[in-house]
Amino acid sequence: MNEPSCEDVLMARMAEADGEESGFLEKQLTAHIAGCANCQHELKQWTTLNQVLSGQNLLEPRINLWPAIENRIAKPTGSFRGWKPFALIGLLLVIHKLFEMLSASDPGMVLKIVPLVIATLLFVLIKENPFKINTQLMLER
Amino acid sequence: MDDAATIKRCQQGDREAFRHLVERYQKRAVAHALAILLNRDDAEDAAQEAFIDAFKAIGTFDTSRTFYSWFYVLLRNRCYKITAKRRYTESLEVAELLVSQPGAADDTRLALEKALHSLTREEREIVSLKYFSGLSYDELAMHLQIPRGTVMSRLFNARRRLQGKLAGVLIREEGV
Repeated sequence: MNEPSCEDVLMARMAEADGEESGFLEKQLTAHIAGCANCQHELKQWTTLNQVLSGQNLLEPRINLWPAIENRIAKPTGSFRGWKPFALIGLLLVIHKLFEMLSASDPGMVLKIVPLVIATLLFVLIKENPFKINTQLMLER
Repeated sequence: MDDAATIKRCQQGDREAFRHLVERYQKRAVAHALAILLNRDDAEDAAQEAFIDAFKAIGTFDTSRTFYSWFYVLLRNRCYKITAKRRYTESLEVAELLVSQPGAADDTRLALEKALHSLTREEREIVSLKYFSGLSYDELAMHLQIPRGTVMSRLFNARRRLQGKLAGVLIREEGV
């Protein structure tokens, strides 16, 4: 195994103090620290820092989020429930128009209407705007 | 009622059971969000949104895991979305992040809070989870979704920066 650097030794000692495995032999660490004034100084400071930190806790604020959360989860999500009536109206309008066109007995118009019906049905079936940009992909870390 | 039983009830659509989860974890969630965001309103918003995300996704929760480690991922995603969206100036008073244990000096707390403010969000987050929530390296890796080696190096760098910022305090404490 290679000779550990100061950073390796300090990280290993910190891991040991945190109750974790350091990944180095105790003999190697002890030998390095015995001959390295920098590591001795860093470890002394770090022990004091641990003491300072152990005397503190995160402030847990008095708070009650439940009323706001309850209000939000009680409401059905509008996007899912809201699309159905509009899709139905759209479909009825298209069918009505289609019958109107067919009764005029112009076969060319059918070819124009069919893609429109297919597009409408597609939007209804996928239930979501396919052109929506997912900004979350950029924001996640 | 333990978390696993509560979550099973939530998965069956029991909103009252979800209320228990919110009441059990809301203070911790806001405290952790505050450690990242340094803004009380944003921290509350992030926690609230994360609980709503959790409610929507509770059906996918694997009950062999701990609830809070799963929830924390949702919480930090919300925190980072807020930081990306709002370019606010960090307006929190330095005295609002920590609370001293009995016997600990108040000026030490203030110095520590100031030092924590000077860390990056990631560093502040890992310090708060390690020291104030007592997570192990494996738990930190799970909460932060980073490899164990990155946990070690991030923690090492955060401690080093804290040591630098608190040099005066540490010398004084060493002399006590």
